[in-house]
Amino acid sequence: MPEWPRRLSEEIRQHLDDEYDALRARGLSHDDAMRRLAGDLDELASMRARRIDAAALDLRYAARTLRKNLGFTLVVMLTLALGIGATTAVFTVVDGVLLRPYAYPDMNRIVTLMETTRRGQIISVAWPNFQDWRAQNEVFEHLGIYRGMVMNLTGGEQPERIVGSLASSEVFKALGLDAIVGRAFTPQEDDPSVPRVAVLSERLWRSHFGGDPAAIGRAITLNDEPYTIVGVMPDGMRFPTRTTDVWLPLGLFVRTFPPDRGAHPGLLAVAKLKPGVSVERASADMDAIARRLEQQNPISNTDHTVLLTPYADEIVQNIRPALVTLACAVAFVLLIVCANLANLMLARADGRHRELAIREALGASRWRIVQQLLTEAVLIAIGGGALGALLAWWAVAMFVASRPTSIPRIDRIAVDGRVLVFTAIVSIATGVAFGLAPALRASSIDLLTSLRDAARGSPGGGRRLRALLVVGEIALALVLLVGAGLTIRSFAALAALDLGFDPARVVTMRVSAPNARYPDPARWIAFHREILARVSGIPGVEAAGLNSATPLEGGGSESEVRYEGQPAPRSVSEEATACLFQATTPEYFRAMGIVFVRGRAFTPHDDAAAAPVAIVEEALARKFFAAADPIGKRIAFEFTGGHSAAARPVWREVVGVVRHVRHYGLVREPDNLEVYVPLEQLPIWFRDRRPTMTLFVRTPLEPQQLAASIRRAVSTVDPQIPVFSVLTMNEYVGQATEQPRLNMALLGAFGALALALASVGIYGVLSYLVGRRTQEIGIRLALGATRADVLRLIVGHGMALAAAGIAIGLFGAWAIARLLGALLYGVSPHDPATFAAIAALVAAVAFAASYLPGRRAARVDPMLALRAE
Amino acid sequence: MQHIASRVLDRELKKGSAELLVLSLVEDQPRHGYDLSKLIESRSDGVLTFRVASLYPLLYRLEKRGWIQGRWIEKAGQRRRRYYRLTAAGAQVLASQRNTWKEFVEAINRIAGVEHA
Repeated sequence: MPEWPRRLSEEIRQHLDDEYDALRARGLSHDDAMRRLAGDLDELASMRARRIDAAALDLRYAARTLRKNLGFTLVVMLTLALGIGATTAVFTVVDGVLLRPYAYPDMNRIVTLMETTRRGQIISVAWPNFQDWRAQNEVFEHLGIYRGMVMNLTGGEQPERIVGSLASSEVFKALGLDAIVGRAFTPQEDDPSVPRVAVLSERLWRSHFGGDPAAIGRAITLNDEPYTIVGVMPDGMRFPTRTTDVWLPLGLFVRTFPPDRGAHPGLLAVAKLKPGVSVERASADMDAIARRLEQQNPISNTDHTVLLTPYADEIVQNIRPALVTLACAVAFVLLIVCANLANLMLARADGRHRELAIREALGASRWRIVQQLLTEAVLIAIGGGALGALLAWWAVAMFVASRPTSIPRIDRIAVDGRVLVFTAIVSIATGVAFGLAPALRASSIDLLTSLRDAARGSPGGGRRLRALLVVGEIALALVLLVGAGLTIRSFAALAALDLGFDPARVVTMRVSAPNARYPDPARWIAFHREILARVSGIPGVEAAGLNSATPLEGGGSESEVRYEGQPAPRSVSEEATACLFQATTPEYFRAMGIVFVRGRAFTPHDDAAAAPVAIVEEALARKFFAAADPIGKRIAFEFTGGHSAAARPVWREVVGVVRHVRHYGLVREPDNLEVYVPLEQLPIWFRDRRPTMTLFVRTPLEPQQLAASIRRAVSTVDPQIPVFSVLTMNEYVGQATEQPRLNMALLGAFGALALALASVGIYGVLSYLVGRRTQEIGIRLALGATRADVLRLIVGHGMALAAAGIAIGLFGAWAIARLLGALLYGVSPHDPATFAAIAALVAAVAFAASYLPGRRAARVDPMLALRAE
Repeated sequence: MQHIASRVLDRELKKGSAELLVLSLVEDQPRHGYDLSKLIESRSDGVLTFRVASLYPLLYRLEKRGWIQGRWIEKAGQRRRRYYRLTAAGAQVLASQRNTWKEFVEAINRIAGVEHA
């Protein structure tokens, strides 16, 4: 340490002592004397900081400085709270969905398997194929098979609909979870001789058996049949879906699986890789097996292969692109916040040069001053972070409460200790990010220059840094806005889609009558006929119909479809046209507002005794019959005699043609063509596996008002049949557009925030510039420049910054827009119109932000400006 | 009136006349910092005060420029104090600053005097 600081501090100490003695001599008390000295002591705080605990003092000093500039502090804290709050909220979701460990041990070794065609069409696994997979593979430690199912749970006060799954014993082994009470299934229970047993979820066990271990051995009634409870799986077991509440042994169903390789009865497989086996190697192994099966069974297996997907990827694959995009977007927002605050801190540091210079003269080293300024920045950032955490907690709670259906693992999303640690780290990093550059700059000012220039403000060296920050802000904001613009256009394209039906004022609900209760198909049909009769009689019901599939909900039963006279295909996959076939009642089309292009709807006369009929969608009519009139032509999607060349089609006469109805959600549209048949002429595929029917009711009333009376009507027909999933069609539309709407809303909000911050940045830099150049402007005016010239000068400066930012931003947006591709529908990630519109928007906002300081500059009074020096 | 004067003087101080004051006070005899601050306060009837945090850096600055020179002096029964005296270079600066100041005050007087007449 040089000698002079010690010297100065000695002199000052003496001075203060002398002053103290003098004050005491004048009769002041110790306290009063100290109070008089307080002003001096304040200014000397940093000098003492060297001797006392520096950090604590920095903190106190920082807190006092911030308190003194309360307005400034609040603005900065609010900006930070928005930035850190948004970051925390997005991190909470990303953490809950993508990062948190799963309950399954060795999650990275768990894969799901599906049979697919080599063209990428996904089909479920044929039972004989699965047996060959199990016998021939060398890569799996465990290979299980399952199929999701929904069941009626009765025996309580009200019938309930629960989600279940049939599952082989290997499913539990592959997932690696043990029962918390009782046991999971044993290999013996994969055998057809198995008694009716069931394994429950922890949730069902707690809600229906009060978590009593004595539930083991007791009976539960599913689909009208008693099952003995043998085990309870832990809460972490959410397989195949997160709502699955009961598992039934494979053995009970084995006899219902067709022994035919061309039949795909909805089975899917799950496996645990042997240690050290990669997904790629396992895929290659399974592909080799598929090729062998293809050679041995050309009719059923041509072009079929096996798709392996890591289970963790499968859970999050739909949401990952959106989350990654949002994480990037929020990081951009935080960067803009930092740039903006750095600018603000620079401006403020300019006003503090004198204070800092004095402190340096008093012996504070440059590092001490940097430390002091950083302490201020970090303190303010932690304050903003705390506020942001509150904001995030609130936002996440609102988000979870809105029950978004497109977010997996939603129940793991919460602001907790782990998230708060993240927030703390982000806050401190943010403080350093926006505090460091101003601190370094402020501390590098030469003492003497500074004291001399104190009255005039700061030297101009920070100008370039501030301009750079603003250019960066504009560029980042533009990238964000392009993303927001693209998602908005994509959403507009989705909203403009023709659904094929009119969703307004339609209420729907599911009615599931199980085979066990209605083994006779005729009685099953009669049950539905009776429901319709009762519901149609309710006042306010305009039209009521039943259908075996629900639009937008993701499909239903699929089959190959042919027209009369079409040559028989060589294999199942070759040239086959797939259809989504639906069993429906005559009024369904009216209830849903589905438009007829030709022909007629079904009538009550299209019953089992009448000739088989069908209604097809336009695209099918065009594909099969081109320009010819499809009415009276015959098609078939049911075949007696299995999937062999000898299969005999069941011909149906086309009586009507309707518009296409979106069944698979808004975006996804498989090639399946839609075919409707009367429920009374039940398709043969439904004889043994009955679909869950959905009731559609059109009403001029508020749709939800009717729900209770409809429920009552159904329960008077059969009180043991649960009614569930009561939703309006508009709610289905809302669910289908949920993710794009979320993307649009969040990216839009982040974009707007970014633009606001960037415009404040431009405004700040130009205002500062005008302040610094008042004298120059005065001279220009005195020398004959017009006010318009001055305005042009300042606005031109702002627009130059904006132009640089826009150019960089456009380039950046172009480079990373591809990442957005997965989120977009009906708009290219490089959509020139969006890019142009956003560039124009940013330019317009930059102009407005430049105009205000420009106008102030133009109003400068040249005489005042000159005299000010 | 005193309020306005103090504001004017305050601004002038920032513009360098503080140097003039210090240099003047150490012209006749060496003085230490506390002494200087008390003298400025009492001779200006309290219109001018120097904060510790401004005074000592100023002394340091003047010494570094070679206009004054400080020396530690110990007196019996007292702590040592640093006394500052005017150097030859300082004397020249003082003369020139006095001149400038005089011209300035006269100019002000000429204007203000007419107004008051």
